[in-house]
Amino acid sequence: MAATIASLLKPWTPRLCPVRWSRYNPYYLEPEPRREAYAAPEAELTPEERELKTTRSIKAARANDNSSPYNDPIISKFINMMMQDGNKILAREIMTQTLEAIKRKQVEKYHSGPAAEREGIECNPYAIFHQAIENCRPVIGLTSVQKGGRSYQVPISLTDSRRRFLAMKWMITECRDNKHRRTHMYEKLSQELLAAFANEGNVIKRKHDFHKMAEANRAYAHFRWW
Amino acid sequence: MGAGLNTCLPASVKGSRVKYLLLQICVSSRVQVNKAARGPEKFSIEYIRKHAEEFEVGKRRLANMMGEDPETFTQQDVDRSIEYLFPSGLFEKKARPVMKHPELIFPKQTAAQWDKDGRPFHFLFYTGTPSFYSIMHDTFGKVLAIEKHQDQMRSKGALPQDSKQISLGGSRWLLKEELEEVLVENISDQDYSRFLQLMDKLLSLPFCALEEEFVQRFRKQLEIQSTKQEIPDVHCDENGRSYSQAQGRRKTATASVTLRDCGSGRVAVNGKDCLLYFPILQDREQIMFPLHFAGMLGRFDVQAHVEGGGRSAQAGALRLAIARALLSFVSTPAEVETIRQAGLLTADPRIKERQKPGQAGARKKYTWKKR
Repeated sequence: MAATIASLLKPWTPRLCPVRWSRYNPYYLEPEPRREAYAAPEAELTPEERELKTTRSIKAARANDNSSPYNDPIISKFINMMMQDGNKILAREIMTQTLEAIKRKQVEKYHSGPAAEREGIECNPYAIFHQAIENCRPVIGLTSVQKGGRSYQVPISLTDSRRRFLAMKWMITECRDNKHRRTHMYEKLSQELLAAFANEGNVIKRKHDFHKMAEANRAYAHFRWW
Repeated sequence: MGAGLNTCLPASVKGSRVKYLLLQICVSSRVQVNKAARGPEKFSIEYIRKHAEEFEVGKRRLANMMGEDPETFTQQDVDRSIEYLFPSGLFEKKARPVMKHPELIFPKQTAAQWDKDGRPFHFLFYTGTPSFYSIMHDTFGKVLAIEKHQDQMRSKGALPQDSKQISLGGSRWLLKEELEEVLVENISDQDYSRFLQLMDKLLSLPFCALEEEFVQRFRKQLEIQSTKQEIPDVHCDENGRSYSQAQGRRKTATASVTLRDCGSGRVAVNGKDCLLYFPILQDREQIMFPLHFAGMLGRFDVQAHVEGGGRSAQAGALRLAIARALLSFVSTPAEVETIRQAGLLTADPRIKERQKPGQAGARKKYTWKKR
């Protein structure tokens, strides 16, 4: 514990902020905008970490984040990835329309189907979105390693953020490329998300292909040295 | 001046005796003096002590001159008085008249390092930086002592699982410059990093709490950031409603906000309702963020004036201004600390990155041609 705290408190001599990097100096800590994190103080923070937080400067909160219960960091990340040329308004509009479309379809299914099946139908679009992205996450990935002049595709484990990124990226590229030019993005997205929620559809298929390639290149797994 | 000359001048030839006057032009042999080799001017301890006494006496005299109480005359008051009595138009602040304690003016010097026979007092004198190396030597001695203590405890079987650790949360290591000031010696970057490595080694041992006092000598306490926040004053208008005002900035947008208590949650920006001024939901969420975080959404009426920047920058400026104005209505310092940790009180320093020469934009490069 002492070692990790010591690494956080390594002396940082202030110097002029370089032009190409972050405007904050590395001494600044990330903000925590959710209200619930402060309601239970004894939960994760040790006295040292709490003292650290009180004495260090904190970065400004982003424009995406707020303390609202409707604010979801994963949805914000997805909106940013969908955004093109900085058009956040359009990306957010598409997202809200997608969630609305999902809700409409599920509610229709809820009311049209027999009463016995109503328990199993999930109507919360946020829950469907999270579960769909969770189902699309690959477990193992491939990376190119050069050995003896040839580059081999070597299977490696992926970090959590990389897996989330790949799931979202596949979802977005799938909906952009394989859609009829007359269908709207939100329609195609809602179809794909509902399919992924049920472990079907093209994105799940792509994930399985990815796993199969990693399995096929299992022989080269020993090339990994880290 | 020339060499000595013995000139014989013939006296008057009137008499039979010729007197010769011997003139000797004064001789001075030139002595080469190298003032630079003497090193920086050295001030003895008695000299500094004498000047310190004179400074104390002078400070009391100055206080009496200015008509103030000599007991509570601080250095700030001294500076103010000197600036009043000796107004100077010089641009270089260091050249202006100054009256400070001699310890602040004269550079710190080490005491005599060797006795009258030329033998050094300290056993590490020939390292060149005896204070630094003596600290390293002491620290390593303590490391060995702690390890020995640990072995003794282990042999007795009394090794506690969770031993008391030194709390390092509210302090940081002394910077290299600060350490040099303490040691009155110059040390290199490598020496400084070796010093930190040795300290980390000491702290990694389980029984390091035994040497807490020694370690704290090299740590500087950090001040709590939330105490540095400026909380705006609460005024009362003619209707009896209390209000506070604050400003905020983001990129090139500036906002000034009046937060009135006993309101209904109405927000007016540049005379318009915020729903008309900010049609985008994200901007309205940003304005509501500080009020929702503090749990005071329907309590205040917000009157804001914002100009400059774009849509998002104006919303960010408003958010900062509202958060700052909200501090005066927040009850406890712990609440101020939570608002600070939510990132609401930091002015966002991010600006548009400049274009670089030889490139089209900040990051975009011109087409790369192989030949």
